[in-house]
Amino acid sequence: MSLFSAIGISQSGIGTYKAWIDATADNVANANDARRTSEEAFRARRLIVTSAAPGEGVRVVGVSFGDAEGRLVHDPNNPLADDRGMVRMPDLNMSDEMTSLIIAQRAYQANVTAFERARDGYLRELEIGK
Amino acid sequence: MAFAPIAPIAAVAGLSGAAPATAAGAGTGTVAGGLGNLFTDSLQAASQAQGTADGLMAAAATGELTDLTSVMSAMTEAQLATQLTVALRNKAVESFNEVMRMQL
Repeated sequence: MSLFSAIGISQSGIGTYKAWIDATADNVANANDARRTSEEAFRARRLIVTSAAPGEGVRVVGVSFGDAEGRLVHDPNNPLADDRGMVRMPDLNMSDEMTSLIIAQRAYQANVTAFERARDGYLRELEIGK
Repeated sequence: MAFAPIAPIAAVAGLSGAAPATAAGAGTGTVAGGLGNLFTDSLQAASQAQGTADGLMAAAATGELTDLTSVMSAMTEAQLATQLTVALRNKAVESFNEVMRMQL
């Protein structure tokens, strides 16, 4: 309903930041995946986000995956190690992921606040002249 | 005497295309028609928003829902649309009463 457009706009923001938090949580959970050197490493997931039609909010348009090379780590006791004792670990920076989590969480809360303020504004607006 | 069986009552599916009662009392026909259309539109929008919210709440109850915000915003929209209809009705009734109170 275009009368209450801020509801839909904030909803798109909340959904997008929720997807960002999900992607970051997935990266953090897989941060220590060891793979054989013959396979590619776990690739971090980044969201590509753009604004929807002007004034309509935000939407996720795609996903980009990080480095497939990863880091080669010497771990001969790992059952997946090759004949030189190397395994392939993901090229993830934990501090980057933590920063992304903080930004995503604050942005999520900001969108929820915008939603609630808009709703309170609309409710008050309906009482004009009472 | 044989009584005809009572037909089963169908579940209420929700309002659709509810027409307002004739906007009585107001003088000029165009003003009455405009307010009546506004009321009908807001009632249809309210019932539509309520239907969306009901469908999403059913999906959430059965575990099919992946996006929590869609339920909450659909319920908020339904609430706002209903409040708008109520506010319109209040204003229309108030102006009708004002007109009826006029001394002739």
